[in-house]
Amino acid sequence: MIRIEHLRKEYSNITPLKDVNATINDGDVISVIGPSGTGKSTLLRCINQLETPTSGRVWIDDVEITDPKCDINEVRKKMGMVFQSFNLFGHLTVIENVMLPPMDLLGASKQEAYDKGMHLLRAVGLAKKALNYPDELSGGQKQRIAIARTLAMDPEVILFDEPTSALDPTMVGEVQTVIRELATTGKTLMIVTHEMAFARAICNRVFYMDEGGIYEDGAPEQVFDNPLRENTKRFVRRLKVLELSIQGRDFDFLDMMGQLERYCMRSEIPPTQSYRIRLAFEELTLLIVPKLANPKLTVAVEWSGTLQQAALTFRYNGSASNAISHADEIVANILQGGTSRIDYSYVEGADLPNQIAVTIRQG
Amino acid sequence: MSRQLKIVCLVLIIFAMAVPAVLSPCTHALAEPEDDATLQMLDGKRIGVQTGTTFDAITKASLPNATIEYYNSYADLVEALTSSKIDGFPADEPVLQMIAAENPKIKILDDRLEEFDFGVIFPKTDEGSKLKREFDDWISKAKASGDLEKMRNEWITNPDEQKTIPDYKSFPAPKGTLTMATEGAYPPMNYYRDNQLVGLEVDLAASFCQDTGYGLELVPMNFDAILPAVQTGKADFAMAGITITEERKEGVLFSEPYYTGGTVVAILDRSKVGVGATSFFDGIAESFAKTFIRENRWHMFMEGVGVTLAITLLSIVLGTLLGFIVFLLCRNGGRISNGIRSACMWLIQGMPGVVLLMILYYIVFGSFSIGGVAVSVVGFTLTFGTTVFGLLKMGVGAVDVGQREAAYALGYSTRKTFFKIILPQAMPHIVAPYKGEVVNLIKATSIVGYIAVQDLTKMGDIVRSRTYEAFFPLIAITIIYFALEGLLGLLVSRIAITFDPKRRTKDEILKGVVTDD
Repeated sequence: MIRIEHLRKEYSNITPLKDVNATINDGDVISVIGPSGTGKSTLLRCINQLETPTSGRVWIDDVEITDPKCDINEVRKKMGMVFQSFNLFGHLTVIENVMLPPMDLLGASKQEAYDKGMHLLRAVGLAKKALNYPDELSGGQKQRIAIARTLAMDPEVILFDEPTSALDPTMVGEVQTVIRELATTGKTLMIVTHEMAFARAICNRVFYMDEGGIYEDGAPEQVFDNPLRENTKRFVRRLKVLELSIQGRDFDFLDMMGQLERYCMRSEIPPTQSYRIRLAFEELTLLIVPKLANPKLTVAVEWSGTLQQAALTFRYNGSASNAISHADEIVANILQGGTSRIDYSYVEGADLPNQIAVTIRQG
Repeated sequence: MSRQLKIVCLVLIIFAMAVPAVLSPCTHALAEPEDDATLQMLDGKRIGVQTGTTFDAITKASLPNATIEYYNSYADLVEALTSSKIDGFPADEPVLQMIAAENPKIKILDDRLEEFDFGVIFPKTDEGSKLKREFDDWISKAKASGDLEKMRNEWITNPDEQKTIPDYKSFPAPKGTLTMATEGAYPPMNYYRDNQLVGLEVDLAASFCQDTGYGLELVPMNFDAILPAVQTGKADFAMAGITITEERKEGVLFSEPYYTGGTVVAILDRSKVGVGATSFFDGIAESFAKTFIRENRWHMFMEGVGVTLAITLLSIVLGTLLGFIVFLLCRNGGRISNGIRSACMWLIQGMPGVVLLMILYYIVFGSFSIGGVAVSVVGFTLTFGTTVFGLLKMGVGAVDVGQREAAYALGYSTRKTFFKIILPQAMPHIVAPYKGEVVNLIKATSIVGYIAVQDLTKMGDIVRSRTYEAFFPLIAITIIYFALEGLLGLLVSRIAITFDPKRRTKDEILKGVVTDD
């Protein structure tokens, strides 16, 4: 059990943690989410004392590790950490990376360390890389080795500090699989991550961090589907809905296309539909904006994973005018091919009264 | 790569030797002949003078418009004259006679610049003045009995190559042993013959000590180091062809003169240029014989190599230890300890090596009886220690901070993290510059002649003072330095390879482990 009381961490220019209180039970698998700069990594690093808290206390079972008299090295032996940048020891082979800590710190014999190391390497699927050096491996492989190295110490708690953020999208899966398996072994895990689907799938508890502390703490169903507090709601909605806003004729079209593309990738939208979303955005934006004297346009993109359905809503200013009616034959054909429905409506008195709702064609 | 480098170096050296040999006759042939040269013709010309002597003032008195250029030894002056870098140089008559006998291209002008007296110098202390009185008594007796005249005749007027010195090393020394500073590079006053210090002054000193009941120890050193050595009491007295002047009397005590001579000027004998010119290879062979074979001079080079290697190796080992220990102590040190450390390093690194050695020899260890070799080792240990500290700092700084964090997070202590994780990864960054610094250190030790250490360079100087060949001994010691540098470089590389973790084989990595494949 980890108990955190009034934890505060100040730097000279910023205070990421103002007052953190939490109790983490044995066997908890906790996803730590939240906007960047809200102290998620700092919290993890205060728990294993890589950062010294400015004030507050952290207890592990009955040991107060913030006590200066506490032998922090002993505590760390039971509390592993997996870093964003892997931090494998570059001068050692893969098997030595896994063997050295138990030999140096737990007094394991070379043979014991080797047998256990090979067992762990097999578990993460990298036994054949045992005699390679870290710089000969891919990012995903390095992170799997780093997890194996942490496991070699038989820790009770493992802290994951954004374990997949530095990886190519193609390698995220292999690391997530290893962590997902680990989540079933009863070890206490804390995972700082931006992969929401992954976070939701493996954890039994979510810390949403904001305003210098744990802003909302609850089961994943609560935090992701029915958040109780305002900032959480906004954050969770932003995860699902992409909102783009255009003011004036000069806007960064390429940047918006980039945001769209990233959103599609993050939401795991299939390539055909992703293509149709971008096409509909491009054609409609170019239809609407040139017709307006002082254009104001917002586009909301929504994806429903369960229905495999994408919808775009365009809202713009000016007098009632259905932009679709200005489309020439080619544009009309393109839109018709990519969408299953386009509805125009005019909402009297709204800030942006014109509204076009587009449903993207499936399959 | 290193093979190519060696070939390039060899070509450069051969070229450097060949150029003067090929070019010098041509340049001389262009000069107009001068038959009846007089002293006054040298006014307004370039006159070479040995550093630390009084010849510059003497020359200015007779030739007010001459330009004075300073050289370190007579060998350099001879070379400068024969290659027309200077138009003449003054020297004491007996010295110049010996030089002219060796070198047919040099001619001595008849006019004397000045008469001078050589005196023994003593420190201005009670012991110094007591010793001076004893010597003055002895020399006046020697003058009266004709012994002094006899010695002068044997060493200067009709040099006797077989003349030996009393065996001063085995004198019974009821009154203690005296230390005499001398140069060892000033024939016929003091020089090496068959690897022994001989000469009129050595003979005088030995006879004086024998007659008055002292033991004698000779300490050869650079001429400019002799006065400070006596002033600080490192030597009890000195004889090295030191002219008695009013200025010098302010710093030391002079005995009654034991030799009176005249200063004469050497010029190039244009009529003889080209005489005795031999082919390039014969010239080299002769120079080789003169430098190494004659009087078994290679013994001196061997001794010099031994001293240079001893100083270098000891300084490398101790300096590496020092740098390492200081780094470990200061790694987690506070502001004050780091301030002290960086101030010391700033002092040691900023000071010219010669100055550091002189300060250590004459001031810091001035009152201890510690030899020059030991002081050199201390000095170079300090400088090499600061270098090693800097290298460690750089190498450790090059290791990613994540490595340290990962080790801490596993439960490694600060000390274990440094030795097991950080240092092995810092080593590859350190080895290459370390090798370079070792080579630098060997070269840097060539200044130890200033504190009476006879290293390779000093031995080269001593041999040059006998052969009056500036060039060949220099090239010879350069080649020896190259060999030493290559040797030590190889040693460092070997050690580095042994410690490189990435060079281990699979069997070494898994030694003592039963694998199932």
